[in-house]
Amino acid sequence: MARTLIVRDDRGEHHASIDDNGRVSIDDVVTPVVTVAPGVVRVGDGAGRTAWVAAAGDVRWVYLDGEVFEIDVLRPGSRRRSASAHGLLSAPMPATVIRVDVSPGAIVRRGDTLIILETMKMELPIRTPSDGVVKAIHCRPGDLVQPGVPLVDLE
Amino acid sequence: MTLRRVLIANRGEIAIRIARACRESGIQSVAVYSEADKDAPHVRAADFAVPIGAAASAQSYLSISTIVDAARATGCDAVHPGYGFLSQNAAFARACEEARLVFIGPPADVLERMGSKIAARQLMTSAGVPIVPGDTPADQTESGIVAAAERVGFPALVKASAGGGGKGMRIVRDSASAGALIAAARREAIAAFGDGTLYVERLIDRPRHVEIQVFGDTHGHIVHLFERECSIQRRHQKVIEESPSTALTPRVRSAMGDAAVAAARAAKYVNAGTIEFLLEGSGDSARFYCLEMNTRLQVEHPVTEAVTGVDLVRAQFTVAAGGELPWTQAQLMQHGHAIECRVYAEDPANGFLPQAGPLLLYREPSAPGVRVDSGCVEGGTVSVNYDPLIAKVTVAAESRPAAIQRAAAALRAFPILGIRTNLPFMIRLLEHPDFAAGHLHTGFIEEHADALLMRHDTPAEAFAAAAAATEASVVPPSREAASSVGPAFRPADPWATIRGWGR
Repeated sequence: MARTLIVRDDRGEHHASIDDNGRVSIDDVVTPVVTVAPGVVRVGDGAGRTAWVAAAGDVRWVYLDGEVFEIDVLRPGSRRRSASAHGLLSAPMPATVIRVDVSPGAIVRRGDTLIILETMKMELPIRTPSDGVVKAIHCRPGDLVQPGVPLVDLE
Repeated sequence: MTLRRVLIANRGEIAIRIARACRESGIQSVAVYSEADKDAPHVRAADFAVPIGAAASAQSYLSISTIVDAARATGCDAVHPGYGFLSQNAAFARACEEARLVFIGPPADVLERMGSKIAARQLMTSAGVPIVPGDTPADQTESGIVAAAERVGFPALVKASAGGGGKGMRIVRDSASAGALIAAARREAIAAFGDGTLYVERLIDRPRHVEIQVFGDTHGHIVHLFERECSIQRRHQKVIEESPSTALTPRVRSAMGDAAVAAARAAKYVNAGTIEFLLEGSGDSARFYCLEMNTRLQVEHPVTEAVTGVDLVRAQFTVAAGGELPWTQAQLMQHGHAIECRVYAEDPANGFLPQAGPLLLYREPSAPGVRVDSGCVEGGTVSVNYDPLIAKVTVAAESRPAAIQRAAAALRAFPILGIRTNLPFMIRLLEHPDFAAGHLHTGFIEEHADALLMRHDTPAEAFAAAAAATEASVVPPSREAASSVGPAFRPADPWATIRGWGR
């Protein structure tokens, strides 16, 4: 029984299938993959090229020919919501809030700075990805914030 | 005298670099570590290790009294400060002297003088070394800074007077937009250095950053070890450094070397230091302006080691112990070409934002002419508390084109997964036609940002590798490598916890 998976990056998704002999197809094109060592594969026709792979949850990190790819590997039907689809802005990494420039109800334009974080001794502005209205603020100056935790709710 | 035991007041790759030099020289080494670093590789690299406090640098790697106490308690006779942290801190050098510890660097009064941009500029000028027009205005209010910018001329650079490393630095193009930029520079200056005093200087258009390594001993000898070109920068921080510079003719190289030695002599400089210059134009008519003197071992010192064949850290030990410089000027020569690539945990596509997180997979390249200085291991993490430098890859080859190819190949064989890095960005940089042509300037990255940040669609091979990754074939996220580094211990008396790893 071939296994079917969805592989997805931020530009689109593809169907992957793995047959009983471990042969991998991407959108029905057979793409040979041979595991060489933990985290190391040879991939592609002929001798193939070396790629390195690491797993973090559903995400596979792949290093191939000097490029890094972050690829979601999902079972069909278990699709996660796309991360960019909501209006919550969060810190990209652990940081300290040093300034909040807006209050709820403020009308903001794409590129406006809403919050300034500090991390690794550098200032890090959090800017709006699109025009909108600030619905709620979830942090205060001095707060230590973690990645993924919402700082501002935009509408 | 001879040094018997050296405390390394630093962390990461430079602490390991120094520990290796100690071992080669028959000197014992003592590492220090914060709570965040108890399992860090630099702790194992030394013969002994001492905890010095909380993760925040101010409570550990910047704590003068704790580090001096640690050095005394462990019977050290010297302290190597590395770069960053306390390396250019005159109070620290003085505290070491008072505790009868040899500070492996210049004397405290030299650190003090060269740490003040005003005094340093006066000294350079008196030594006949050209400098960029600039001023630390006595009136440090916003209007005082704006007035100073108007005096030196726009565009002007506003930066932390106490600073370095690009922190607290902003380009001001006119009086109208200056306010917010000055405020941001001041906030960063206070956060990074505890001192909000700002310095204003004229910005030279499309300059190259070329610096000269100097070295002095206590017997009055001062030599230079040629240049490093560090024009490839982002956020005013260096990314790729090389030697020789493609811009220097023999005549300009010799003039810059002479100027650097004159500056070091005027400063009564001892130990390793660097004179930074901006270079304007090219050929024999290129002009150079001294920016500042870095009174420490530089991050990019392996470039100089690769082209001259010397060991700068071992020479630091020799000079600190009162010995003479191991080389005369006539013995020093540049051979071939060297390039250093700084591998950072950062996201080039997102404003080079620093990244913190796990190193799920981390495999260093190994090849002829490739040197890797790193403070990381697979299974470890890049901490939010410190500089996001992961590793330095320094290649040496017989020519610049060969060095570029070697560097790109080394980076392609350096997989780092689990955290975003600048590896793909640097490969594109190395292979950019203008880099190959040697057309460098400090705005190179901004000028070529579109080409350097271009991303190809994910190839089918990458999707296939991801899909095929099974439990057995990939490195799982929760490797125990980092946390199994040594026996855990948390005793009350920090000096009771000195660890000896044997030799």
